[in-house]
Amino acid sequence: MNINAPRVGSMQFMAKDFCERAGLGYVDSPPYSERTVELGVSVSPEHLCFPMKILLGSAIEALEDGADTLVTVAGFGPCRFNYFGEIQKRILKREGFEFEIVVFDGPRDAPVSFYRNVRRVLSGSPLGPVRFLRLLPLTVLKGRCYDEIEKQAMALRALEVEAGSVDRAAEECLSMLLPAQSRDEVEEVRCAVAERFQTVEVDKARLHLRVGLIGELMTCIEPYFNFDAPRWLAKKGAVVERSLHMSDIFTPMGRNPVFGADDREIGLAARPFVCHGIGGHGQINVAAAAMFARRGFDALVHFAPFACLPEVIARTVFSRISNEFDIPVLSISVDEQTGREGIQTRMEALTDLAWSRYRERVNAEERESVKA
Amino acid sequence: MRVGIPRAMLYHHYGECWLEFMETLGVEVFVSDYTTSDILTRGTVHADNENCLPVKVFSGHMFELKDRVDLALVPRVVSEEYGTWACPKFLGLPDLARSLDPDLPDVLAPVMDLGDRRCLWVKDWYRTARALGASRLSAAAAVTGLLENLARHRLQSRAHVDTGDMKIGVAGHLYNVHDPRVSLGLLDRIRAMDATPLTVDHVLRSRARYHANTLSRKIFWSFESRLAGTVLNWSRSRSVAGILFVTSFACGPGSMVGALLEDQLGREGSVPLMTITLDEHAAEAGLVTRLEAFIDMLRYSGRADTRVGGAAVRAGGGPR
Repeated sequence: MNINAPRVGSMQFMAKDFCERAGLGYVDSPPYSERTVELGVSVSPEHLCFPMKILLGSAIEALEDGADTLVTVAGFGPCRFNYFGEIQKRILKREGFEFEIVVFDGPRDAPVSFYRNVRRVLSGSPLGPVRFLRLLPLTVLKGRCYDEIEKQAMALRALEVEAGSVDRAAEECLSMLLPAQSRDEVEEVRCAVAERFQTVEVDKARLHLRVGLIGELMTCIEPYFNFDAPRWLAKKGAVVERSLHMSDIFTPMGRNPVFGADDREIGLAARPFVCHGIGGHGQINVAAAAMFARRGFDALVHFAPFACLPEVIARTVFSRISNEFDIPVLSISVDEQTGREGIQTRMEALTDLAWSRYRERVNAEERESVKA
Repeated sequence: MRVGIPRAMLYHHYGECWLEFMETLGVEVFVSDYTTSDILTRGTVHADNENCLPVKVFSGHMFELKDRVDLALVPRVVSEEYGTWACPKFLGLPDLARSLDPDLPDVLAPVMDLGDRRCLWVKDWYRTARALGASRLSAAAAVTGLLENLARHRLQSRAHVDTGDMKIGVAGHLYNVHDPRVSLGLLDRIRAMDATPLTVDHVLRSRARYHANTLSRKIFWSFESRLAGTVLNWSRSRSVAGILFVTSFACGPGSMVGALLEDQLGREGSVPLMTITLDEHAAEAGLVTRLEAFIDMLRYSGRADTRVGGAAVRAGGGPR
């Protein structure tokens, strides 16, 4: 059995790690490229949302590479994402591919189908169901560590003294994380990661912007679809913080350890702007925007696929957040037609604006202190 | 105190119930006028450009209420059926209305979660009634009346009037289909072509639910589930000669259900299906041409009168 899971942030890492320990075969989907987009767009109906088209293209590439079981997750929310699996199955079957698809619903929403799906995946593994399920928490823990490394790197990249030193540290940390086999080992790796990042030389006094990166999961996390915004922003002197992390989504009980706020806090932070869950990650993003603005960030960048249901509402609300907190928000919608230059011009305009506001503020503060 | 209700979105489903609720409280209600091109243009200008057409229409209606009312009633419909969700646009509609323009009237947004069997959401309506100055007794009476009306509303199906020899199923959101400006008078045009249009509310919810449950994965948008069930019911019972799937541009659930239905009906061999996408640029000429072509095709292919079990089976796949 050769499993393939969607390539979104640390999901690929977690799935691969899990399959290795469970003795299942795993086929990587190749990195996203123009071909992925073309393949996906060619088989999908026009109005499907962009992430769905991408996942279709990516699934086709994985099937060509020898995967035979597509594993994906869904749920019972109002976002279109929850129906991806079904549409994916129908479209790929119509296109004549031979494969099996396992769509995991949340164990709390649909315990029976969850159990059945576990049995289906298990048929290719030497493990029993209990040991199989006990592998899950460790996988999520490793994913969390992966996301934390990424978060650290985004925060430090703008301040590094020697170009590329942060990326090198992040790579080393990931290679430390890969072989970890137990909870204790992951804890050890986390300590080692913290130490490793401390050895990176950073210029703490350097003037920098703080930019919040928010948006729909796929476009916000995957560098191919946001044109590597975190690295690009770092070059313009911005420390970046992101609202969504893949392992947060798999952490039960609504805790979001990497983002650092649980669901209750998120609901409260979003309160005057969005008073009810609106599906997908709309509420989290609105809450993150409000939180970032309260913490004094200089700008927010919002990525969403064209006509994404929750994000369009979030984006309408951003105009209100932008007015109330006096913070520039750039909302970019991404689809198969989007070009890199257009995005970069707009992001450049945003960073220029943020820099000029930042300098103005610093100057005003200096004048105040001179007067005093 | 004057409360305004925009004549858009779910007003076309539950408007009567909301109106009666307000009337029981003795509050003066103002419902915005039927959609005109002006309203649509204003909505298009002010709403985010990626919103679907009905949300733009809704935004236009919100501006109609400006300066005319003290408060606007935009209930937050969370679900319409047990175990389902409304579209995210309905969930966030009051929030969207609040961030449209600071000059708009304040928004009352009681939650309406018809899928909640314990009906806890009526507390919200009770609070709204109290905030509008009703006594405890009349607020309770209004809430009870609302529940009764909704229960009656759910069991009803609209009776149709025959206007021609051929029945056409028009599967689309009621707020698109029943709004003559948005749908460009689709229903009347079908009537003028000697055919009888049937809409989703002509089929009992229970029948729709029965057919929707035969799908391999449950659809968890309330209305889309009903819509898909209705289309399957029409197609399987051959009670219509052809089906028009009317969706609006950038309608999220519509895009998924459209893809699903095309696939499912293609496999089952159904009556012909045509998709019409509406947006603010939709022009009458284009619609009429396609409609005429569709109806002529049905007439001349010899399938005009519905023959039970006799309709020719469409080849698998079918036109995309």
